Amino acid sequence: MLPRVRRLAAIMAGIIAACATRHASAGPLKTWGAEPPDPPEESQPSPVAPPPPPPSSLGAPVGDPGEAEPPAPRPPVGPGGLRYMLEGIEVRGNTTTLARVILRFVPFQRGAVLDVDDKELQLTRFRLLGTGFFRDVQLSLRRGTKRGFVVLVVDVVERNTIVVNDLWLGLSADAEPNGRARPLTAFGGLDVSEQNLAGTGVALGGAIALADRQLALRTRLSDQSFLRSSWTTEAQLLYNNAKDFFGNRNALVDDPTQKVAQDFAVVSYRRFGGKVSAGHEVGSVATRVFFDYRLEKIDASLPLAASHKRGLDIEPIDFDLPPGSSILSTVSATLVHDTRDEPFLPTKGWHVLGLAEASLTPLGSDYPYAKLVLRGSRWMPLPWDHVLRLEGIFGSVFGNAPLFEKFYVGDYTDLRPHRALDLAFDRRAAPNFFNTAISEVRYGDYAARLNAEYRIPLYRGRQTIYGVDFFGSVGLYAVANGRDISRPARGYSGFQKMPIDLTFNLGLRMDTAAGGIALGIANFLGFIPIRSEAQ
Amino acid sequence: MTHTRTFAIFFSALVALAVVAPPRTARADDDPPKQEELPRRQANFAWDKNEKTKQTLLRASFSYRDVIDKAMADKLASGLPTVIAMRAYVLREGEANPVALAVRTCRVVYDLWDEVYRLKISGPGGERDSAALNLEGVLRQCAEARDLPVADRSLLTTGKPHFLGVIVEINPVSPQMLAQMRQWVSRPAGSTGIGPGDALFGSFVGLFVRQIGNADRTLRFRTQSLTP
Repeated sequence: MLPRVRRLAAIMAGIIAACATRHASAGPLKTWGAEPPDPPEESQPSPVAPPPPPPSSLGAPVGDPGEAEPPAPRPPVGPGGLRYMLEGIEVRGNTTTLARVILRFVPFQRGAVLDVDDKELQLTRFRLLGTGFFRDVQLSLRRGTKRGFVVLVVDVVERNTIVVNDLWLGLSADAEPNGRARPLTAFGGLDVSEQNLAGTGVALGGAIALADRQLALRTRLSDQSFLRSSWTTEAQLLYNNAKDFFGNRNALVDDPTQKVAQDFAVVSYRRFGGKVSAGHEVGSVATRVFFDYRLEKIDASLPLAASHKRGLDIEPIDFDLPPGSSILSTVSATLVHDTRDEPFLPTKGWHVLGLAEASLTPLGSDYPYAKLVLRGSRWMPLPWDHVLRLEGIFGSVFGNAPLFEKFYVGDYTDLRPHRALDLAFDRRAAPNFFNTAISEVRYGDYAARLNAEYRIPLYRGRQTIYGVDFFGSVGLYAVANGRDISRPARGYSGFQKMPIDLTFNLGLRMDTAAGGIALGIANFLGFIPIRSEAQ
Repeated sequence: MTHTRTFAIFFSALVALAVVAPPRTARADDDPPKQEELPRRQANFAWDKNEKTKQTLLRASFSYRDVIDKAMADKLASGLPTVIAMRAYVLREGEANPVALAVRTCRVVYDLWDEVYRLKISGPGGERDSAALNLEGVLRQCAEARDLPVADRSLLTTGKPHFLGVIVEINPVSPQMLAQMRQWVSRPAGSTGIGPGDALFGSFVGLFVRQIGNADRTLRFRTQSLTP
């Protein structure tokens, strides 16, 4: 009887020990209880057997743990914290995005020493969130198959990746093809992209802008990690069937196809071409440089001749396009420094952009010019939770750029429709609050703008609409050609010779799951009669 | 005169919208509570008189264990560092500016192979390393304040009620905030008074009412009043 009791007791002890072992290996979350008085020694071997290797399906660790180095001593605890040998990387939660796409953003290699304090761990999370593919990204570690080895686990929650990048809707005043002014027409456009095409990380986007007898189309394909490198690449095709309107006052147009007197000289042109770009980080995630090459063919139909009144003088109109076919070929470099905390309703940070573009005249481009643009914005949170944005833009064109590469006055005043996909919708001159020579300028070689925007948060949410802010902005801008400075239009004196004026806007900015939307009233205010005639 | 009229319309619209718009904070589904609406939590206060320095310190004990929910517990066990940062401001009832501040931070890393949470606790008086075998141990050391020196008695106004306004953040993202807190905890024990030039200084509105969205999780509460 006694041996049976002893045997039973031994079996029970064994079962209890086995249960205790399983319980301990279940992980720290299941080991709730009182803290023992003394923590174990650092060098104390774990009494727990290593867990089984991770699953081998999608989300399997990179590399085969079986190929790992022979058992190695645990990497020492450095001054920065714990260190492990990285056995692999496991991706979880991805239903659409391919694991290899996610792994491109994880700069750790199997077999390397992983310091838990490595800043790259946090940067990896931000990089993955920055792709726009995921609503949430969490990194964690789990034990590997050998002591001292760990698997880095990347948990992702995917989000809607079809994004509305831009939406244009508004009213403009343009002109008939025969040059007769029209009071009101509508324009609109949409720029949409799928940021994660079939889970490959490649973005496919398209944009369209429409107005009366004007059409612009764009399609682009971009890869944030071209050939698994750290380079971003993009290819874009463009088509524009556009028209533009010239003539300040008393326009005289020699166009044999038109039988009636024209209010404006109308230029029609078509553009077809493409652009390839490559971009790379410079020093930090926040700074990137992009290099572009662009090639396009332009077919322009111009009046034989046209003149208008500039100041007190009658002058010929320069359309900034040669008649017939021409070729535009450019290279450009753009440096972007972006430390905004949010893309659409930022509360703090900088967005600085510098662009240098040169036309490749020796390689067949018909437009010898160079262009420089510097634009900087700073967002500052105010103690009462409102946001102030200060913006400065300066641009300069040297040489003979085509009109769509020059600085358009409507892009600098909010009271006229901005260009969308390079289409200019409005024939009107800029409003002229200061009675300056700004109304004599439509396209300029130089442009500058200083603007302040004040935002008041109205709503914050976590579902479809992330935020709604009321905004009001006011600024000063100037658009000029060289001759507006060296030989100002006659009829202006003193300060009025400078083509400077005021701009302002009011409205709502909304950050939604589908993208950012801005609703401003300046476009409609622009139809209130404001002195915009020239002298 | 037309542009003058447009100006008038523009500024009238601006003024109208500014009046209609909420004056300070956004109406949001996750707005923080105002001073009087902060959830109340019981704290134990005790006076600690040092015979050598003749200094009398107010010590407080309170818990903020609820900052660690299931998701945060998972994060603590992730093997990667997690920081639990607590700031306790001493405020006079009805006044906006705090008179003293005590800060405590706890950096937690779960050692996957030794199955132990390694802790680095910084608080009034210095920094120390510790360990906990389980989550309960982490909560006891990092989510509770025990006899935390919060203010010298000389900073408090006799006969006026004071309370603690507490902000607990998990993984405050701002490196500046963490640097400021490190700077603060390096002060000698008991010197918790706030001067105008001190880091982390601010009014109640700035500290408690402003939306804090940079941390993985934020907990704000106030204690009952204490009248010295």
